[in-house]
Amino acid sequence: MTALTTDTPSNTHSPAELREKKDRRRAIALLTPGLLWMTLFMVLPMAMVIYVSFWTQTTFSVNSTLTTASWERFLSSATYLGAIWTTLRIWVIVLIATIVVGYPVALFIGLFVRNKTLQTALLVACVIPFWTSFLIRVIAWRPMLGTEGAINVILMKLGIIHEPLTFLLFSEFSVLVGMTQIYCVFMVGPITFMLGRIDISVIEAARDLGASFGTIFRRIILPLSLPGVMVGSIFVSVMVLGEFATAASLSGRKTNLLGNIIVSQVGSLKWAFAAVAGVVLTIIITAVIALALRLVDLRKEM
Amino acid sequence: MESRILRPTLALYTVLFLLFLYGPMIVLTILSFQSADGGPQFPIREWSVYWYEHLLGFAETSRVSQLPVGDSLLRSIVLAFMTTVVSTVLGVMSAEAFRTRFKGSGPAFYLIILGMMVPGVLVGLGMALLSNTLGIARAWWGTSFVLHVVYTYPFAFLVMLAIFNRFDRTVEEASLSLGVSPAQTFRRVTFPIIFPGVLSAMLFSFTLSYDEFARTLFTAGRDLTLPLAIYGTFSVEIYPNIFAFGVLTTLFSFTLLVIYGLLMKRFTSKASRYSGQEDA
Repeated sequence: MTALTTDTPSNTHSPAELREKKDRRRAIALLTPGLLWMTLFMVLPMAMVIYVSFWTQTTFSVNSTLTTASWERFLSSATYLGAIWTTLRIWVIVLIATIVVGYPVALFIGLFVRNKTLQTALLVACVIPFWTSFLIRVIAWRPMLGTEGAINVILMKLGIIHEPLTFLLFSEFSVLVGMTQIYCVFMVGPITFMLGRIDISVIEAARDLGASFGTIFRRIILPLSLPGVMVGSIFVSVMVLGEFATAASLSGRKTNLLGNIIVSQVGSLKWAFAAVAGVVLTIIITAVIALALRLVDLRKEM
Repeated sequence: MESRILRPTLALYTVLFLLFLYGPMIVLTILSFQSADGGPQFPIREWSVYWYEHLLGFAETSRVSQLPVGDSLLRSIVLAFMTTVVSTVLGVMSAEAFRTRFKGSGPAFYLIILGMMVPGVLVGLGMALLSNTLGIARAWWGTSFVLHVVYTYPFAFLVMLAIFNRFDRTVEEASLSLGVSPAQTFRRVTFPIIFPGVLSAMLFSFTLSYDEFARTLFTAGRDLTLPLAIYGTFSVEIYPNIFAFGVLTTLFSFTLLVIYGLLMKRFTSKASRYSGQEDA
């Protein structure tokens, strides 16, 4: 119907066009409050971060005289540049770890479990830990990894080690383990979803034609699950890059991410430095999301 | 057949994965029953519920200061409730708007989705800077609240979008062409169909806001919300009272989940009863 009327020579008062106009007006009216909210409380604060990064920082306050002093100090400081490097390193490791740890689980739940009830039960089992407060889940790693923690106690009881392992807690290792555990469900979910949509007859056809599981995996399962990996990667990336609580709690202040820099700078009222770190973090995250969105159309996958 | 080796291997792997997910919480639960003189580690000196009493304020004066749970819990629940109402309303409205294709829908979609992508510490910092500059006092019911909605509204929006995508428009059109007013149609036809989605959106918004911490850290001002109270203990030594607290909040969340499940079940059984009547 609509296609037909748009094909005919334009008549500004055609009912279809009128209706389209009315629909459009209605859509805009419905969207305005939400978009206004996002502009005022998300875009404006972010613009403020960029603006303040060029303010002048005095000992305990900032004033709006524009300067690049904070930027120069940030980019010439080994601590801050080190924080960028640490953030990127931890992000890459956690991202890979969540894929490696999560993919086989998703493969099992999404493809090997054919019983719908069991499938749902397993997914629910993966999500249940999220009903515990995020900070509690972080702190729960302390009694697990500490020198008198569960892992050391068990390993010593079994006689595998005689001295408690000290690298487990208050190190980069504990941060990586904690983040992998907390975020890998965001990888399992999207991949399982994509794998669950695979038509099983396609795989059966390939098997009937003599393809080995390796071939089926490489040629069918992996390509079809890649959008799920991408969506999961976006989730994990934005969360890990903006992290600071896990590092603050589990690294013993040894691991400083950009988020930790922001928190400590705000704590000592160095607003301009915090803003610089914020802008750097924004640039990194924007680059990562832009890259990911080139590879996958988020709107289509939802 | 490789599947004969592969399936048990993957099953075993999944079990190990679940152990990895649950391990820390199990250990934390065990240690929450530590005795009064025990620390936040093994061994358990003596099983007791001392730290639960301590948390609830029943314990005698002790070396460990009590967690500021009472007031902050109330604040967190009120804040989560406010956030739930606003973000669900915004989410339903926006998803309804997206049912018609219109110019600029792409950028609008991404502007909304950005809310769940932007790290909390960044918008928190921006909001703190903004309120400093404009001279607005920071408060959990003001500056924190608006940021919580920025975070939860995209989730509510996506849930509703998924619901509307599976929605049969002709039902609504039938109602409208029979002369029922748009408001009545929404209340009697649209809303009952989308209600499970609305419930899910509310559940999402509530739990995300209740647990939200990065967005609150710089914007809450003087009065702490629950996650901030927990974060405060990070810098000092931890005691098993925080473990007891972790167990109790988890139970609280499960209660919410059960209420959600019951509401869902009640609603869906009611819906199927109606369709049953139609058949008869």
